[in-house]
Amino acid sequence: MRRAASPARAAGAVRSVNYASSPLLAARTPPWRSRLVVALIGLGSCVLLARAAYVQLIGAEFFQAQGEKRFAHTLVLHGSRGRILDRDGQLLAISVEAPSIWAIPRDLAADRARRQQLAAALGMAPAELERRLADNPNFVWLRRQTDDATAARVRALALRGVHQTREYRRRYPEGEAAAHVVGFTDIEQRGQEGVELAFEPRLRGRDGSRDVIRDRFGRIVEDFGNQIAPVHGADVVLSIDAKVQALAFRAIRDAVAEHRAKAASAVVLDARSGEVLALANYPSFDPQRRQRLSGAQLRNRALTDTFEPGSTVKPFIAAWAIESGRATPDLVIDTGPGWMTVTGSTVRDHEPMGMLTLATAVQRSSNIAFVRLALQMPPREMWQLYRDLGFGQRPQIDFPGAVSGRLRPYRSWRPIEQATMSYGYGLSASLLQLARSYTVFVDGELLPVTLLRRAGPVAGQRVLSPATALQMRGMLELATGAQGTAPRAQTVGWSVGGKTGTALKQDGSGYASDRYRASFVGIAPVDAPRIIVAVMVDEPRAGRFFGGQVAAPVFSQIAQHTLRTLDVAPDRSFAQQIVAKDAAALPEHYR
Amino acid sequence: MRWSLLLGLALVASALLLVHTAYESRRLFTEIERARSQHRQLERDHQRLEAERRAQATHLRIERMARDRLAMRAATPALVHVVADPGPATAAGGRR
Repeated sequence: MRRAASPARAAGAVRSVNYASSPLLAARTPPWRSRLVVALIGLGSCVLLARAAYVQLIGAEFFQAQGEKRFAHTLVLHGSRGRILDRDGQLLAISVEAPSIWAIPRDLAADRARRQQLAAALGMAPAELERRLADNPNFVWLRRQTDDATAARVRALALRGVHQTREYRRRYPEGEAAAHVVGFTDIEQRGQEGVELAFEPRLRGRDGSRDVIRDRFGRIVEDFGNQIAPVHGADVVLSIDAKVQALAFRAIRDAVAEHRAKAASAVVLDARSGEVLALANYPSFDPQRRQRLSGAQLRNRALTDTFEPGSTVKPFIAAWAIESGRATPDLVIDTGPGWMTVTGSTVRDHEPMGMLTLATAVQRSSNIAFVRLALQMPPREMWQLYRDLGFGQRPQIDFPGAVSGRLRPYRSWRPIEQATMSYGYGLSASLLQLARSYTVFVDGELLPVTLLRRAGPVAGQRVLSPATALQMRGMLELATGAQGTAPRAQTVGWSVGGKTGTALKQDGSGYASDRYRASFVGIAPVDAPRIIVAVMVDEPRAGRFFGGQVAAPVFSQIAQHTLRTLDVAPDRSFAQQIVAKDAAALPEHYR
Repeated sequence: MRWSLLLGLALVASALLLVHTAYESRRLFTEIERARSQHRQLERDHQRLEAERRAQATHLRIERMARDRLAMRAATPALVHVVADPGPATAAGGRR
C-alpha cells in the first residue's frame, strides 16, 4: 500500500485510529496490526482478570489454605486434667508431662549397631525393638509416657525417623494406700476407676488451639486467626485425709498378714460431718504399675462387697427398744440356758449368760436377749428402723460400684428371720453402710456420707433422740471394757465405744462352718464423738477369728493414731511415761 | 515548596519509624513467646517435681524411714503432755 494513494481511505484510517494530527506522523503500519495488538492486550487483560477473579473469588479457599500451609501452624494447647487432693491439699493424683517416643520405620536410617544403641537407650531388648518396628512402616510407638532421662538418651542418638511427642501421665504419690479411693486413668487420661471415674467430667480438661505464623527458624512470629483457650480440668478436693488413709491402710495390711486373712477393709468417718476420712482395702495395687492385676486387688471391698453384719447391728435393736419405750438400759432380760427356739429353729449364745440387763446384753453380745427384744417389735417397725439406718439402700455417694446391700421387705419375714435379723443375719450391707449407720449414735441423726470435703457439720435424718444416742454410747463403751467382748479396742488416752461382729460366711445357700468375717464398728471419743471407724477382716485363718480378737485391735490402732492426728485432746487418764530424759523405750510391735 | 519538602521529610521519618516499630514488635513478640514457653516448661517441671516430692514424702514412707533408719517410734498419748493454750491464736487454726 502506497502512501496517500487514496485520500479518502487515508482520512478514514486517520479517523479511526488517530495517532497524530500531522499527516507526516501518520502511521505507515497498516491499522489491523495495531488493532491486533490492542485486541491481544485486551484479551490478555481479560485473562488476567478472569484469573484474578478465579483466585480471589472462586478458588479463594484453596489458595488461602495452601498459602497458610506454608507459614501457618496450629498449635495444640494442652488442657490439663485436674488434680485430686486430700482435705489438706495433699496430692493424691496429678498429671505430669511424660515424653513419648515414636518412629516412622520407613524413614529410620540406622544400621544394626545404631538400632542396638536405640534399643539400649529405650531400655528394651533389640528383638523387641525390631518387632515393634516391623509392626507398621508408617508409625509405631517405641515407648509411651516414659521419663525425661530416656527421652534425652534417645534424643542424643539423633536418629532420623525417630520422634518425640509430649504426653501426660497420671502420678499417684500415695500409691497403693489410696489406690481404691482415687482409682486410675487409662493411657489417654480417661478415668477408669474410683474418683478418677466418678468425677471424670469435672477433672477432664479440654485442649485448646492457637494458629500462629512461624518464620524459617520455626520461631513463632505472629498470632493469627482463631485462638481457642484450653480448659483445664478442675481440681477435686476429697474428704480423705492422706495421713489417716495411710495409717488405716497400714493397720489392715498388718492385720491381714498377722491373721493370714483373705482381705480386710477399714472405713473412717468424721462423726460430725459424715465425711469419709479414710477408706482402705487390702489387698491393694500400685496404680502406676497395673500389669497383672487381679480382681481381688482391684475390688473396693468397703463399698462393693456386702456381708451379713452380724452382731454389729445389735446396738440398733437396743437403741430402738429404748427409743420406743420398750426398754431401759437397766431392763433385765432372761437369756435362759443359752439357747431358745423360735418356730422350731434354735438360737444360741456362745455361752449361757442367765439374767442380763440390756446394757450387759450389749456388752456381752447375747443373741437371745436381742431376739427377745426384736420379737416384741412388729416386723414393719424393725424394717423401718433398718431402712432409716440406710440398710438396703444405695448410699448417696459419688462413687462407681457402691452397692445397696440387701434388706428384704417385711411382708416376707418369717418369725425366725426377724429373730436372726436382730443379730445381723439375713440382711447384708457394705462396710461403708455399716460405718454410716453408726453415725446415729453421735447425736441420733443418720448423716449423709461424702467423699468430698464439706465445710462443716451437716444435718442428718433423725432416727433416735440425742438422749438415747448418749445412753447407747455408754453401752458401747461398756462393750470395750474389761467385761465386754472387745477390750482390745481400747486406746491409750481416749474413750472408745463399739461393737464386735463375728459372722459365719455364706457358702452357697448355707453357711460355711469355719470361715468367718470378723468386724468391729466403733466410735471415739465416747463423750464427744469425732470419728467412726469400721473394720472388717475377711477369713482370718491364723486361729483367732472373733471380732474382738481380730478386728478390735485394728480399730484400736486406727482410732488411736487418727485421734492423735486430728489433735483431739485425750479424755481418759492414763499412766504418764514422760518422767526422765533417759526413759527406756518400750518394746513395740511392728508389722 | 518548602511545605512539601517538610512533609516529605516527615513522611520519610514516619516510614522509617514504622519499619523500626514493626521490627521491634516482631522482636518483642518472639521474646514474649520464648518467655511463655519457658513459663510452660517451668510449670511442667514444677508439677513433675511436686509429684516427685509427694511420692517421696508419703506417710507410709516417712514412717518406715523414721522407724528403720532413725529408730523412731510413734508417740502414744502416754508420751505426750497435752497443754491447753488459752490464747486466741489457737481458736483459728486447729490442725497443721
